[in-house]
Amino acid sequence: MEKRTSYGRTILAYVVLIILAFLCLFFFYILIINATRNHAQIQQGFSFLPGKSFWVNLHNVMNDANIPVMSGIKNSLIVSGAAAILATYFSSLTAYGLYAYDFKLKRPAFIFIMLILVMPTQVSALGFVRLVTGMGMINTLWPLFLPSIAAPAVFYFMYSYMQSTLPLDLVEAARIDGSSEFRTFNRIVLPIMKPAIAVQAIFTFVTTWNNFFVPALIISDNSKKTMPILIAALRSADFMKFDMGKVYMIILIAILPIIIVYLILSRYIIAGVTLGGVKE
Amino acid sequence: MAGITFKNVVKTYDNGVTVIPDLNMEIKDKEFVVLVGPSGCGKSTTLRMIAGLEGISSGDLYIGDTRMNAVAPKDRDIAMVFQNYALYPHMTVYKNMAFALTLKKVPKDEIDRKVHEAAEILGLEEYLDRKPKALSGGQRQRVALGRAMVRNPSVFLLDEPLSNLDAKLRTEMRSQISKLHKQLETTFVYVTHDQTEAMTMGDRICVMKDGIIQQFDTPQKLYNEPCNLFVAGFIGSPQMNFADAVVEKTDQGYELVFGETRVPTQREELAPYVGRTVVLGIRPEHLRAGEEYIRGGNTLTAEVDLSEMMGSETYLYLNYAGSRFIAKLPGTVIAPAGSKVTLALDVDRIHVFDKETEKSILN
Repeated sequence: MEKRTSYGRTILAYVVLIILAFLCLFFFYILIINATRNHAQIQQGFSFLPGKSFWVNLHNVMNDANIPVMSGIKNSLIVSGAAAILATYFSSLTAYGLYAYDFKLKRPAFIFIMLILVMPTQVSALGFVRLVTGMGMINTLWPLFLPSIAAPAVFYFMYSYMQSTLPLDLVEAARIDGSSEFRTFNRIVLPIMKPAIAVQAIFTFVTTWNNFFVPALIISDNSKKTMPILIAALRSADFMKFDMGKVYMIILIAILPIIIVYLILSRYIIAGVTLGGVKE
Repeated sequence: MAGITFKNVVKTYDNGVTVIPDLNMEIKDKEFVVLVGPSGCGKSTTLRMIAGLEGISSGDLYIGDTRMNAVAPKDRDIAMVFQNYALYPHMTVYKNMAFALTLKKVPKDEIDRKVHEAAEILGLEEYLDRKPKALSGGQRQRVALGRAMVRNPSVFLLDEPLSNLDAKLRTEMRSQISKLHKQLETTFVYVTHDQTEAMTMGDRICVMKDGIIQQFDTPQKLYNEPCNLFVAGFIGSPQMNFADAVVEKTDQGYELVFGETRVPTQREELAPYVGRTVVLGIRPEHLRAGEEYIRGGNTLTAEVDLSEMMGSETYLYLNYAGSRFIAKLPGTVIAPAGSKVTLALDVDRIHVFDKETEKSILN
């Protein structure tokens, strides 16, 4: 009887998981299929079978002078990569500061950071653009990744992760071993934080990669545009020249780097990296 | 090599709680001192102050002749073994042990020699390439010891290093640490709440309670001449038996009376207590079954509540005159629960404490 229940449960779990997987992956499937079909075919409706226009679409995307795909990818890679590195490193550093040290304004500092967390980007956008203009950084890539140094959400994640996995004894042991505070952070704390850093690096990379709002405010040069702006530009292009095949192709190109980054970092997301270092 | 001196050291936390009100202590060079006491007694704080992990609110701390109050932990020439090992989880055993030396920029071949030397002493040679998670608890603890050893520090600090190990391993590591102390000839300060560890390892034991040193002496002295009720109850296993007794003057001297029992003694220290109630203490092993110990009325007869056979010895639990007594008798004594036994208090081994000050009257 008991066995039957667990059998039923397994089937139910699989059904739910298959539905969820389908919901998630089906759009990718449409994307990939449509990237291989031409505009006319796409307009006829959906088909499960791929078309024959993959190379034509790719050729069209690559050779459109108005849409510099390669430089778009390059810009997006620079911005997203830098944002991921800055956000994870400095958020870990901030979290470590608040976690490992005792100082008078510790709690107010924590609350302050948490308050920034609930502030939408749009609220400060106007001020941000003015600031960037004032600093002479308008129409450059810098303002797209530099603010990632202060990433309250990443900070909070790192802080929680430290609470659960970083025993302060390790920090004290390093201190006694003669390690300076910065070295302790870089050589002891960061390696232990690897799984958290990998998770947050992926998240930050993807969010920055997909960010349309801020780059649209800052960037005006075609050569400095990131992928989301280029895709948007393509969609709002001349109606007569509008080619859905091209749109699907460029989106396909745009998601490839994200998939690659995920595959690289996912191997670091292993549970229990501190297992054994400290006995609970 | 260095001794450690505390001069009027006070530790008050930011929230105003004072854990160490006024600590004066001198640990000699090359001595093995055990700080022992119940949790919250300030023993770990004291150790952490020596390490420099905890600031000192006032007073002076000296290691050797140097005042250490404001010296960073890394410059104190100390090594510390933590209760939970605190091994760097992402480094191999070798790297864990070599870390401090690498930071000091010691030449590679010297690091290699020192690490292998320590690994050999601790039996860790075959595990040098493993990460901590692939080791057992005992091995991890040995790595933690090794990490401290390679630095050749002048003071070795150990914070309850054995409390996470099972009983058998603990006994083994206990002797290993004692051996290590003899081998290294360094000052050891060892914190524990386990009085067996304290008694077996320490040259001297410092019993603490509420941040105050109760007694700082050799294990023998603590056992034979506890200075107050707390020390008497803390040192020794099973715990010392206590009973309220009234002091009466007799022709031969004095008698301590409780229940039917009258323990004769000639100790003149009891003179001021005639007619007053004191606390009589007797260790379980000094409650004797042999008739040769009977002197006057120094016996108590009671029903056995519980009898524990330990093989070489038998523990009898009795209720007598409103107090609970444990007797530790030779294994040959068989007294099942419910049976009546008569035990004699070894009159030469009794302890008497003032009921108000809790201080020992006889020592």
